[in-house]
Amino acid sequence: MNIEQLKISAKQARRDIVTMIYRSGAGHPGGALSITDIMTYLYHNEINFNQSPRARLVMSKGHAVAIQYALLKQLGFIKDEEMSTFRNLNSRLQGHPNIKTVPQLDANTGLLGQGLSIALGMAAAKKLNNDPNKVYAIIGDGEMHEGQIWEALQQAAHMQMDNLVAVIDYNKLSSHDEVNSVCRLEPLADKLRVFGWHVIELTDGNDMQQVVDGFALARHYKGKPIAILAHTIKGKGVSFMENNGDWHSKTPTDVEYKQAMEDLQ
Amino acid sequence: MKAPRDAIGKALIQLAENNFPITVIDCDLASSTRADQFAKNYPERFFEMGIAEASSLSFAAGQSFEGLIPFFIDFAIFATGTVWTQLRQSCYANANIKIVGTHPGVDGGFDGASHHALEDIALTRVLPNLTVLSPADADEVYQAFEQAAKINGPVYIRVAREPMPVRDKTIVPRVNDIDAVIDEGNDFAIIFEGASYEQANDGYQKLSALGHKGKLIHLACIKPFNQEKFKSLCQQVNVIITVENHSINGGVGGLIAEQSMQNGILKPLIRIGVCDTFTESGKSSQLKDKYGISGQNICDQFLQVLF
Repeated sequence: MNIEQLKISAKQARRDIVTMIYRSGAGHPGGALSITDIMTYLYHNEINFNQSPRARLVMSKGHAVAIQYALLKQLGFIKDEEMSTFRNLNSRLQGHPNIKTVPQLDANTGLLGQGLSIALGMAAAKKLNNDPNKVYAIIGDGEMHEGQIWEALQQAAHMQMDNLVAVIDYNKLSSHDEVNSVCRLEPLADKLRVFGWHVIELTDGNDMQQVVDGFALARHYKGKPIAILAHTIKGKGVSFMENNGDWHSKTPTDVEYKQAMEDLQ
Repeated sequence: MKAPRDAIGKALIQLAENNFPITVIDCDLASSTRADQFAKNYPERFFEMGIAEASSLSFAAGQSFEGLIPFFIDFAIFATGTVWTQLRQSCYANANIKIVGTHPGVDGGFDGASHHALEDIALTRVLPNLTVLSPADADEVYQAFEQAAKINGPVYIRVAREPMPVRDKTIVPRVNDIDAVIDEGNDFAIIFEGASYEQANDGYQKLSALGHKGKLIHLACIKPFNQEKFKSLCQQVNVIITVENHSINGGVGGLIAEQSMQNGILKPLIRIGVCDTFTESGKSSQLKDKYGISGQNICDQFLQVLF
């Protein structure tokens, strides 16, 4: 997709995220909306589900699964009428990614901290299998507090796993408070560099042009794993959700839903 | 006498030679787990991850999603306890990973209570999709590994560290799930997991010498549990004795208590194993004696129930 098409797709995905959470009565809108632009780019331009083997995408911050369902609907893997079953009984659309019901999700995540290690295992297997495809891992900034993430960061650098791209959704908010006030991550880019990673910083990870350019740059890096540190806005696109930690996990009321849909026109 | 753990390296090499697409994941214990022998033969399939078990277990799951069959080999305490949520997620995804826990029970001897894996059966037998295997002697290790490699899903294999007798398989072949390796009567049934084979067998011989005719039953596959076979083996016996190099709570003793009650086998049950306590440093064989995992204790407890 070109940039204009990606922007249209991202907007539709945002509408679907808010709608599915509104209709099903549960979900995590904030962190799904912050990573929407990057996920839209990856699912449309980097992951080819018709190819085998193919590039993989592990959503380590599994609570943001709504963006995956929204995009997999665009790609034809989820039916429109399934979307409102999200998080409810007898649905394929579990509250956190489950490959047994939706295989395109690539990994079972949701217990934070585990996805980067799973992606690293995939990347190592791809090297062993002479498979040139990349593996992408989406990590939340709050999730960076997990010790397992730092184990994987060290292991990936040690293994020079340059087919692994970690995207950090740096929206600055945990479930309620600021990530850096809960337990300081900064200076995050420097930490990643001294851990042995190439770092590409997106000052606005919700700007599609920056997203496209960032991943284009990532293709040229060799010899080390690549971290894309994306500064994003939690709740991006919905006026009253933006930068508001209350919308980490919350369902909009009728009035709020109407407002959100107006914001996402 | 042979140490089951010493069969691990050779079993891994044999699997690779038989074209199973295996890899081996190690967390700085390859010389203790004997995985180092595989590393010498297949360096590109051997992944030294450092002392970072949680990430390494998830790493194994990632490899399995790309079609490999990773063997995560570690001390039983780390292979189950340290990585329990990572293992649980892998079971949720039905990841095709094989976990090998060495140094089960008090086999970590001198390392003391911190390293004694007295809960690994309890931790693994509650996980859906997971198969739990418990080979009883060194000759059964390769067959258990091959059985695991042929299963499309997660498998935990408990492999004893301490040397133990090798059973003559010409009389009764290797047990795949649960079966009697000796069957002479119904006075008692001793049901053991692999890492306590020597003590269970010793108890059996002692009771036999006193004139009691019973069965020695190897629970080679703890999960899934073959309920029908258990029923047919134990319906007529007078006393059931479980033996495990593990806590009596939640392990084989717990399992057989559940299954006996559920299946109406309402006979006295003697649970031999470590009794809800933390252990201590010492020689593994002495620890087994002190904490009651011994043929003598089996014999004493049986006689108490009898009289």
